[in-house]
Amino acid sequence: MRPLLARFLRSGAGRVGIGVLVLVGLFVGLVPALSSADPDAIDFTLRNQGPSGAHPLGTDYFGRDLLVRLALGGRLSLEISLLALGIVLVVGFCYGAVAGMLPRRLDDAAMRLVDAALAIPRFPTMVIILVIAGLRTNVGTLVLALAVGGWMIPARLVRLELVTLRQRHFVTAARAVGVGPVRLVVRHFLPNALGALLIAAFLELPALVLMEAFASALGLGINPPTPTWGNIAYDGLDYRDTWEVFIASAAIAVFAIAANFAADGLQEALEPRRDAVVPRRFLRRLVARVSR
Amino acid sequence: MIRYVARRLLTAVLVLLITLFVTFMLMRGIGGTPFYPAEGYSIPLYLQRELTAYYHLDQPWPVQFAVYLWHIVRFDFGPTLSYRDQTVTAVIHGGVPVSLELAGLATALALLLGLPLGLASTLRRGGPLDVAATTVSTILLATPVFLFAELGRDDFVAKWNLGELGWSGPRSAWLPVITLALAPAGYVARLVRAGAVDTLSEDYVRFAHAKGLRRGRILVVHVLPNSLTPFLSAAVPTLALLVTSAFFVERVYQVPGAADAFITAAERRDYPLVLGLTAVLAAIVVLASLAADVLAAALDVRLREDRR
Repeated sequence: MRPLLARFLRSGAGRVGIGVLVLVGLFVGLVPALSSADPDAIDFTLRNQGPSGAHPLGTDYFGRDLLVRLALGGRLSLEISLLALGIVLVVGFCYGAVAGMLPRRLDDAAMRLVDAALAIPRFPTMVIILVIAGLRTNVGTLVLALAVGGWMIPARLVRLELVTLRQRHFVTAARAVGVGPVRLVVRHFLPNALGALLIAAFLELPALVLMEAFASALGLGINPPTPTWGNIAYDGLDYRDTWEVFIASAAIAVFAIAANFAADGLQEALEPRRDAVVPRRFLRRLVARVSR
Repeated sequence: MIRYVARRLLTAVLVLLITLFVTFMLMRGIGGTPFYPAEGYSIPLYLQRELTAYYHLDQPWPVQFAVYLWHIVRFDFGPTLSYRDQTVTAVIHGGVPVSLELAGLATALALLLGLPLGLASTLRRGGPLDVAATTVSTILLATPVFLFAELGRDDFVAKWNLGELGWSGPRSAWLPVITLALAPAGYVARLVRAGAVDTLSEDYVRFAHAKGLRRGRILVVHVLPNSLTPFLSAAVPTLALLVTSAFFVERVYQVPGAADAFITAAERRDYPLVLGLTAVLAAIVVLASLAADVLAAALDVRLREDRR
């Protein structure tokens, strides 16, 4: 792992990406603890103020401090996205692993299902799920709605890795000494698929953050007054406060770009032959994900 | 080729069926019956039974699904719950053409903006023009669309009176179209750059250089056509990107399109309308992906072999 980390940090994109991600993490983690402002305290005498010493990012329509709300909102947005990412990776891994271990016919059928699932637009699906969840949208339903459209790409990656590795001698050797399918997957396939999964995770995370924001900005997210980045944008759109929409969007954009840079650095570190000559394709992949 | 198209068509139908089935089951999963005696009044039992039979609700779910499919095939989605005296079909007829017009114009604009932006990058890789173009396309892509929509509505329309809300002529159309086109433009620029760079490193391009062809000619004659295939495979993500953005664009600019109807229906829990719009959207997406795949296969023989 050591040389991988070193290689990762050597790549400019990776360094910048991980640096910014750490900064976002610090912002989200420390600001609410350090600030004395109450994120939900309503004070109409402070309505829609610009940035000032007391409120570095100003206040919203209800006179709430936007800095604290942005930090707390980011914390919740990231928590939701990370939970969804966890589900996506676990489900994707299991599905891919099972498909890869199945006989050819069934494997084919399983992958056809993935193709079909990939063809369904992701965001409208999410909207429908949130509609069905009704007005009771909470962290759980939001996480679930986010995760539903994401498991296919990790599943594909894992299965591809399995199918490629299946022919290798070390797998035959392991089978010969009587290693069962579960152990085979966990001990022999998982470590090999880890790199691809890690890249996929760094690409999926900003897509999840973006989609949480989109859903919440349409009013389908966690109920107010709890802030998330999307809810802050929703408030801004609702009360026509461009500044509020701007800070939420900026936070999302910074996070998305940083995560993709990190994914890029990882890619360079894991597949050194592809660096330099090939341009960054991260946004292409990002879009392919968001839009699904 | 015919076999490929046939197989692809079969997959498309399958995808459509799965989508409809899943939405159908989800809607059923909400539970309840529409004719339950509500508070304050009750429907006579014989009427309840009659209504239940009329809507096939006394049948097992496979029959219900079959009936539902049969209605969809005839483009009959039933009445809406939230618009009085309107059928879902009428709402779809009203909204979908507007959305298609908006999306079509936005796609054209996205190509118009994105192609030069992407080609500017390829002229001199790593040069200032490339860096500038890449930065622009990155920002266009990573910025959530609601920021652009908010800027358009509050500054361009409300403050400077440069446009108007709604959907009536160019004065109201130009802002939604531009807003909707921005993210796809960034995407197109990215695609062109990546595709052209891949193609530029091919041997036949080096050969063209060696023959002494001018760079402009190489770019237009040799590189561009061969960068088209990834373009086609990007058609569906682009469409999905447009759909996602359209939710905000139509809402913020008060464009009476299908995406806005979808969100309104979602907010009012108008399930038949949500179902109907989902079916139409799924059909559009599936058809687009089918067209893109077939076109790509027509352009590139190699694609016919591997099944995607």
